[in-house]
Amino acid sequence: MLESYFPVFVFILVGIAFGFAPVLTGLIVAPHRPDSEKLSPYECGFEAFEDARMKFDVRYYLIAIIFILFDLEVAFLLPWATIFKEIANTDSVRWFGFIEMMVFIAILVVGYLYAWAKGALDWE
Amino acid sequence: MVDALQGLLQGLFGSLFPLVWTLLKIVLIIAPLLLAVAYLTFWERKVIGWMQVRIGPNRVGPWGLIQPIADGLKLLLKEVVIPTGSDKAVFLIAPMFAFAPALAAWAVIPFNDTLVLANVNASLLYIMSITSIGVYGIILSGWASNSKYAFLGGMRSAAQMISYEVAMGLALVVVLMVSNSLNLGDIVQGQGQGYFADKGLGILSWNWLPLLPMFVVYLVSIVAETNRAPFDMAEGESEIVGFHVEYSGMAFAVFFLAEYANMILVSTLASVLFLGGWLSPVGFLPDGILWLFVKISAVLFFFLWIRATFPRYRYDQIMRLGWKVFIPLCLIWLVVVGCWMMSPLNIWK
Amino acid sequence: MEFKTFVFYFLSAILVFAALRVITSRNPVHAALFLVLAFFTASGVWLLLQAEFLAMALVLVYVGAVMVLFLFVVMMLDINLDRLREGFWGYLPMGAIIALLMVGEMGLVLGGNYLGLFESSVRQAGADESNVQAIGRLMFTEYVYPFELASVILLVGIVAAVALTQREKRKNKSVNPSQQVFVKARDRVRVLQMPAEKRD
Repeated sequence: MLESYFPVFVFILVGIAFGFAPVLTGLIVAPHRPDSEKLSPYECGFEAFEDARMKFDVRYYLIAIIFILFDLEVAFLLPWATIFKEIANTDSVRWFGFIEMMVFIAILVVGYLYAWAKGALDWE
Repeated sequence: MVDALQGLLQGLFGSLFPLVWTLLKIVLIIAPLLLAVAYLTFWERKVIGWMQVRIGPNRVGPWGLIQPIADGLKLLLKEVVIPTGSDKAVFLIAPMFAFAPALAAWAVIPFNDTLVLANVNASLLYIMSITSIGVYGIILSGWASNSKYAFLGGMRSAAQMISYEVAMGLALVVVLMVSNSLNLGDIVQGQGQGYFADKGLGILSWNWLPLLPMFVVYLVSIVAETNRAPFDMAEGESEIVGFHVEYSGMAFAVFFLAEYANMILVSTLASVLFLGGWLSPVGFLPDGILWLFVKISAVLFFFLWIRATFPRYRYDQIMRLGWKVFIPLCLIWLVVVGCWMMSPLNIWK
Repeated sequence: MEFKTFVFYFLSAILVFAALRVITSRNPVHAALFLVLAFFTASGVWLLLQAEFLAMALVLVYVGAVMVLFLFVVMMLDINLDRLREGFWGYLPMGAIIALLMVGEMGLVLGGNYLGLFESSVRQAGADESNVQAIGRLMFTEYVYPFELASVILLVGIVAAVALTQREKRKNKSVNPSQQVFVKARDRVRVLQMPAEKRD
């Protein structure tokens, strides 16, 4: 099994190299004549008047948290989905395997509906 | 000829041969990919030009064909401006985070039943996890730039990307249910069986038809995931400023490359998962890699077509579509497919 | 040296370095990024142990989701490093005790395995057998109740997250996109037939 992952490993390294190489060549080849106006951050012509990294709406955290939970749900669904065809075509476990997952999904749907009802999914 | 080359390289590099051989294959994937990326930008400008009754680029070289190369050269010779107060290290590695996953995912893409670089068991899982790293490029570039516009744009795009990742993941789960494998090659092979495939109409046996709602969800999600119009909250050219506003020269070029490389990647995935990969749509024509390219081009054309056609979504509409329409739709269809497979009408035996 | 061993040491070296930088770097965003690197290399090490599914899930869930939230939090809270450092000496004894406890626990688990105190029941998967399918089979037969419990925990997580960040509905003039989508043209525009009127 591990041999088949060797090209993947090399490919990731090559990908990282390809991500850096253009930026490095750009830094080397291109002219470099900085001045303070050029280097000042873009603010539609205004002088920057406070730190750009500011406090943010809590909604973004909420979206990120709900995303984690649903991502986990997908991670749990994956092994089941991969063997579901097998389950559905095996008489001894078919209803067990099916209902088990429906219960899992039903519990999560409760959470989803709660989030919906509380307006956590709204973006006004 | 391949054997002769293999023998020659084996003699030259000795124990390093597997590494060299793999690198050679990787170059054989990346070089055409980068060429395709360059000409996709050209093709996009041409297609949108025609759709808007303009001509599009036609000055550089015959029919404007050298245009993408001229663009690349111009970007290479432009200064990479690093704004004051920015976090220099993070500013420079952020483009890598955007581009590297779009390349690394190609390691497991099957081109036909034998032509695949790494035939791993969990290739779909690998693609899902490696592409989920792409969001870092956006968050980090927004934060490192020390510009409010870039920061706000980065947060906006990141929230959009993670929202659609859920819908995409659930759509893929439904594909897995009917495929019984995480291997992309097996998923394609599975689409070659069925009632219609036996009758010589393979196109109706592919996943897009029985899983049509998931196909639609996937198609729309990949547009949102790559931050393309009409979901281009990352950088609405005429209205809002995006996460890479402070980037210039080659650092910007990498983001640009990443966007188009991601488009080609997700189009390939759509072709492999829903459109039968290298399989031929009708029985009397042979299967082959050309079919895969035709399908990828069709999905890419869909990207350009909707960009030229639709007005931009508003941000709350985007979030509503992802969270309140696609996720319930995916969950419902997951249960429907589950029941379908449990019923006597099951077509996936 | 076998190639696998080389990869192991390569990844481990990066992992240890990244983990050290997580706790030593002064910029919280850099620390979070080093944690991302640590997770990624750890998933490489897990892959070396042939734990395909776990390795990928680590990247998918931790790098792709959890660390995104971390970065959101770290970036957007104004963290004043000087104020954080104020209580350092006061908290040190408590922190040291917890650290010692954790080192002891890890020593027990790892040492016990090393001395052969526990019977190793790890079954090697076959070469062709997919790890994910093996996990699926086990999870939906032997470990049903933990699995269903996991969904309850996720439910608690959703409810807690929503309840904790619950805020007043702000009074603004935002439009409801759902209503907007379902608008019909005839509700808005009325086409009238009028005879032309002559001016006298």
